[in-house]
Amino acid sequence: MEIRHCLTLCALSLVAIPSNSAWAEESPDFGRDIRPILSSACFKCHGFDDKTRMADLRLDTLEGATAKLESGTTAVVPGKTAESELIRRITSTDAGEKMPPADSGKSLTPREIELLTKWVEQGAEFQPHWSFVAPVRPELPELKQHAAAVRNPIDRFVLARLEREGLAPSPQADKVTLIRRVTLDLTGLPPTPQEVDDFLTDNSPEAYEKVVDRLLRSPRYGEHMARYWLDAARYGDTHGLHLDNERSMWPYRDWVVRAFNDNKPYDQFTIEQLAGDLLPSPTLDQLVASGFNRCNVTTSEGGSIDEEVRVRYAVDRTETMSTVFLGLTLGCAVCHTHKFDPVTQKEFYSLYAFFNSAADAAMDGNALTPPPIKKLATPEQEAQLKAFDEQIAAVNKTMADTLAAIEYVDPMGTPASETLEPKEYVWIDDAAPSGAQLQGNSEWKFVTKADGQVYSGEKATTRKASDLSQHFFTGASPGLKVGEGDKLFAYVFLDPSDPPKEIMLQWNDGTWEHRAYWGEDVIPWGGTGTPSRLAMGPLPAAGEWVRLEVEAAKVGLNPGAVINGWAFTQHGGTTFWDKAGVVTRTPQDGQGFDSLAAWEAYEKAQTNSQIPGPVKEAIKAEADKRTDDQKKQIRDHFLQHVCITTKPKFDPLRQQIDELTKKKAEFDATIPISLVMANMPQERETFVLVRGAYDKPGEKVIAAVPSILPPLPEGAPVNRLGLAQWLVDPQHPLMARVTVNRYWQQYFGNGIVKTAEDFGAQGSWPTHPELLDWLARDFIESGWDVKRLQKLIVMSGTYQQASKVTPELVERDPENQLLARGPRFRLDAEVLRDSALFVSGLLIEERGGKGVKPYQPQGIWESVAFQGSNTQNYKPDGGDANYRRTLYTFWKRTAPPPGLMTFDAPSREACVVRRSRTNTPLQALALMNDVQYVEAARKLAERVMIATSDTTVAPAGSSSSAPADRLSLAFRLATGRQPTGDELAILNETHATHLAKYQADKPAAEKLLAIGESKRSESLDVAELAATTLVCNLILNLDEVVTKE
Amino acid sequence: MNPINEYALQETRRYFLGRAATGVGTAALASLLNPRLLGADSAAADPQASLGQLPKLHHAPKAKRVIWLFMADGPSQLDLWDYKPGLSEYFDKDLPDSVRMGQRITTMTSGQTRLPVAPSKFAFQQHGQNGTWVSELLPHLGGVVDDLCLIKTMNTEAINHDPAITYIQTGSQIPGRPSLGSWLSYGIGSPNADLPAYVVLHSRIAAGSQTQALFARLWGAGFLPSKHQGVALRSVGDPVLYLSNPDGVDQATRRQMLDGLAKLNQRRLEEQGDPEIAARIAQYEMAFRMQMSVPELTDIAGEDEKTLEMYGPEVKDKGTFAYNCLLARRLAERGVRFTQVFLRGWDHHGSLPQNIPQLCKAMDQPAAALIKDLKARGMLDDTLVVWGGEFGRTVYSQGTLNKDTYGRDHHPRCFTMWLAGGGIKPGVVHGQTDDFSYNVTEKPVHIHDLNATILHCLGIHHERLTFPFQGRDFRLTDVHGNVVRDIVA
Repeated sequence: MEIRHCLTLCALSLVAIPSNSAWAEESPDFGRDIRPILSSACFKCHGFDDKTRMADLRLDTLEGATAKLESGTTAVVPGKTAESELIRRITSTDAGEKMPPADSGKSLTPREIELLTKWVEQGAEFQPHWSFVAPVRPELPELKQHAAAVRNPIDRFVLARLEREGLAPSPQADKVTLIRRVTLDLTGLPPTPQEVDDFLTDNSPEAYEKVVDRLLRSPRYGEHMARYWLDAARYGDTHGLHLDNERSMWPYRDWVVRAFNDNKPYDQFTIEQLAGDLLPSPTLDQLVASGFNRCNVTTSEGGSIDEEVRVRYAVDRTETMSTVFLGLTLGCAVCHTHKFDPVTQKEFYSLYAFFNSAADAAMDGNALTPPPIKKLATPEQEAQLKAFDEQIAAVNKTMADTLAAIEYVDPMGTPASETLEPKEYVWIDDAAPSGAQLQGNSEWKFVTKADGQVYSGEKATTRKASDLSQHFFTGASPGLKVGEGDKLFAYVFLDPSDPPKEIMLQWNDGTWEHRAYWGEDVIPWGGTGTPSRLAMGPLPAAGEWVRLEVEAAKVGLNPGAVINGWAFTQHGGTTFWDKAGVVTRTPQDGQGFDSLAAWEAYEKAQTNSQIPGPVKEAIKAEADKRTDDQKKQIRDHFLQHVCITTKPKFDPLRQQIDELTKKKAEFDATIPISLVMANMPQERETFVLVRGAYDKPGEKVIAAVPSILPPLPEGAPVNRLGLAQWLVDPQHPLMARVTVNRYWQQYFGNGIVKTAEDFGAQGSWPTHPELLDWLARDFIESGWDVKRLQKLIVMSGTYQQASKVTPELVERDPENQLLARGPRFRLDAEVLRDSALFVSGLLIEERGGKGVKPYQPQGIWESVAFQGSNTQNYKPDGGDANYRRTLYTFWKRTAPPPGLMTFDAPSREACVVRRSRTNTPLQALALMNDVQYVEAARKLAERVMIATSDTTVAPAGSSSSAPADRLSLAFRLATGRQPTGDELAILNETHATHLAKYQADKPAAEKLLAIGESKRSESLDVAELAATTLVCNLILNLDEVVTKE
Repeated sequence: MNPINEYALQETRRYFLGRAATGVGTAALASLLNPRLLGADSAAADPQASLGQLPKLHHAPKAKRVIWLFMADGPSQLDLWDYKPGLSEYFDKDLPDSVRMGQRITTMTSGQTRLPVAPSKFAFQQHGQNGTWVSELLPHLGGVVDDLCLIKTMNTEAINHDPAITYIQTGSQIPGRPSLGSWLSYGIGSPNADLPAYVVLHSRIAAGSQTQALFARLWGAGFLPSKHQGVALRSVGDPVLYLSNPDGVDQATRRQMLDGLAKLNQRRLEEQGDPEIAARIAQYEMAFRMQMSVPELTDIAGEDEKTLEMYGPEVKDKGTFAYNCLLARRLAERGVRFTQVFLRGWDHHGSLPQNIPQLCKAMDQPAAALIKDLKARGMLDDTLVVWGGEFGRTVYSQGTLNKDTYGRDHHPRCFTMWLAGGGIKPGVVHGQTDDFSYNVTEKPVHIHDLNATILHCLGIHHERLTFPFQGRDFRLTDVHGNVVRDIVA
């Protein structure tokens, strides 16, 4: 549940200054001035799309605009406004003639009409849209006035523009501001007081550059840069649709961090992410990188139609690629030919074809690791796995040695008798088997020879019944094992003076559906003529002991069955039962084979033997046709697993192996898995989808790039790899521009092209086109060196300017597009939280790993989640998870972290390359009251109280008392600078008010200090700490603290 | 709050504002306030005044605000509103092919060997002056049917929850577009500076529910500035995230901290000159005001017993649908532009007759009470109330069908919603469906048409509330939508 609503009263965002007016020049430029007007007001009906074109007029080409129309008129006659129908229509006062027509909702401003008129007057020159023409490295502009402000080539372009505008650059920012700005920009964290001091005392000309180089080497750099990229890559820790279960994608996130820290060249960075899986023998890292294509949201909603869903995934991948790398938003072309940019619907689907053979299933199965996936063992983990294998091998060796050492002689001699006789195994005699629970219509009644009939041993059981009656047991353990051809038997004696109508034996192997009866068919259980009620013939003779025998298979007890229960049932009469069991070749519990030959014969008779396949095969083979290997297999198996004399030697070894194997499996399960990209073995055919509908395939297309852009490089494969190689071709007109523009945006708030996601005809015109091209060419020629580009930007004088602004300049250039001052804007969500943790000393800089769950208000997930989703309930991890960098916060995409959403973080459901930046009361509430920030304020208070308690030396130039020292230090930790006397007085005054309150109300103080999981420092005075905590809360809310100055 | 603290608070605020007025200068202070907002009082004078990015409303509005009772997961029109007495003859007979016409159905039932017709088990009665048929499950709504405009012919293309609910909320099945409420916040703003323009209320899951998920995107701002997204008022913890001061910090202490903060920010503003600092000062003041206005909003102690009774027994239980309906009225009173009350649980794929009565019980009385309450206060005239979800349910049974039970799958081709109040004709039943409530036979209303009509009631032409993004002027209704003229008063 996010709360990013602005209740703003602020009028500032409403003060719209037409951005073009600031630098409008005398003669209209087609690309900058004319095309946007035509594109916005005319192309919908007179543009690129021939399906919606009206009056057969197209205004996007010279040929189209100057062609004679059916009406006999011509829209544009270069140089002749009076003859140009376009001019006549846009200036017409006749509602029926006026263009654009009223019902289009579009109208032209007088300024736009003037521009169009001037353009026709001056010859109506058409130029291709600037961004589709490859950049050339422009000459560095000569400067008339401000050459002294130049630090590097960037400044020449910016200053030239300022000179044209009659503006002066701002002076360099003071050193404290500068080091805070650049530290925040390159690492996402503020500088420490020590770092500030070092910089202040370093008067060398390279002081600043040294700082920059240090920051670029910091591992924090990669974490900070990755964060922007993950918005573009739409990275999240859940699938994003429907159940929104967890997914294992975080190794990709860590790969991005590493790529930035290793300064992976941007062309490689691109290729590995778009097509790492298609590289020859890809490394693990390259496969992980290809997960970029797997970051899209996926579903497993019941009822979904696979093809519809799959098409959406491919569209998302195509759009993401085009937004991130081409700066083109091709979404419109999913349904129809683009109205404004020269990309046809067919061309969209040709691009889409590159992504249409992805091997992932439409339904993610709500699984953590829906394939294709890759398991990612570190070298240490590989070593550990290997160690397990070695240990297992060592035990196996012992086993082999033991085997080899045994000189086995078959006690039965060889060859074994093929007709190994089955033997009788008595299960019940004098007592039921172990574990048996005796039950019956009445208790089991035992008799001895003294008081009844006994066949074997000391006792027999007896039962007198008037109708259906029985005694039985279940739960015998170990059970009676049934083998091939086995016969079950029992002895019965019927009282000749009181014979029953029927007797029945029943066996339980889990069910009782195994019955045999003698006599009349009056016991109704089971089905007549089936193994559940097998007729055995008439009652046996009365007055004598009779052996009953039943073939186990006939009552449905097949080889492998294990009997745990036996019932002696009768209808009427008096019976005696004795000795019962099985005639079998199967060794029962406590028995075993000591003869290999006997065992072989036994195994041969088994139809569902549990022994390993190869051994089984070997046994089945004729003895004289067995290979040596087969013979060995039989012998080894017998000695290890069967033979009662040798098996005990192997049991502990086998146990060791089992344990090691289990441990290895457990360890293996801790090795991360990441979703990776892969293509189907057979490519899917791709069709234009009519109006974007998955079930309306139109013309068949093959993978290709839009014709307005250069073709695929010679020899490049026609797949994602070729597409990636095409993007990073040095002559690609968009790729480098789009990239440097996004980086520029990170530092200055706006890109040189403000619409970072759209370099097309409807996108913003670049404020400094030559600078953009220069940076793009420089970036390409540097070998796509990302760190070098960052350094270039932050080393520029433009970047280093003070951000102080005059009312006149605010009015003239509210968004600082002309760059007559340094950047100044609110920090992003992640930087705010990380900075608070950092200055309070809470930050735990453990890098990488699974997403963590820090503090989060109750009910954020629960109120929206699918019941049964594994991300339904938010369970904070507690401990360190509260203090990790925000980059590592678990990201549930249907209910993203609320503290981040409050500060304009995107949901990560779709690619975002430009965040909005709002200023709302909900942000104020979060910074004041979120446990994360309240705890940080307390820890900051503790930190400064402890730091100033053991020193009586006040900071240089200060003669303030102890609280002032603390507050100064806290202020300094948060802002980088010392407070002024005036500022310190305000902090002191606030502190004094709070202190008075908490001295009078210690319980309140204790409550405040109990917030957050970390324990408060017991040695500090409660009221003092509470008062300081609130002042630190104030400090962490200062505009200066939440802003990059 | 302790009255003495309250006084101290007022004093410190006066102090602050006094300082600010002299410190910042009158012009700067004025710039802290939305000038259009200052004109809110004069809005009566100009009925087409806008408080958002639209310079002016496109026509005089009939509704000033909207409350949407969102029945998430798709309630069964067949058991609630769309009376089909002829179906009893078709019990357990196959849905005729001539009705289905080969249209796609979800893969939950596309594998069934049969699509047997399940007539509703529930009786319908006629209500109101026009004798509108309403299910016995909805006695209270039946009682206010003369105030409702029933649309039986709502339709959509999406057949699964996630895309369908995203579609009706944002005009697109694919995540990323702004929601209706955020369009309103962006376009015409809200007259109450202390509350969000777009408020979302989640109802606790009630008995009889079969429930799907919701998604933050449903009230998200998409590509609009994120401040326009809906604010979910929560029933657990703070109603607005992070609203409460930490334990041990009372409002007077917070005021003192804020005074110190304001003074320091003020100095920074003088030093730096960035108007954004002035805006931030104003936001902190507004946050402070919200800390008082929001608890006042959610505290229903002042409601009279008769009103509470009307909403039913659950009204005092925070987070219930009944409580949320009452809260919606309180939000409407305070001028909140768009309130959306979500009630989940209508996904009755199986055992519908066993479950839906309980859910109806939780919904029926509060929804009817909201209509009555608004009407009694004279607010129904300029408050548009909408009731409905993302799609309907099938006439054929999913899973077991017998005399006692049946289930219904998702049905996008027709479903019922109702509108009431501001700008909508009361007592109307719009459109006709076939005998199986399967296809629309007369006057279809697509979800884009509904959204266009809602905007129309608010004085907005749906084709002219646009935002340039990715090279195109986007709007809520994409390239579709027609105002349903028949139902507009």
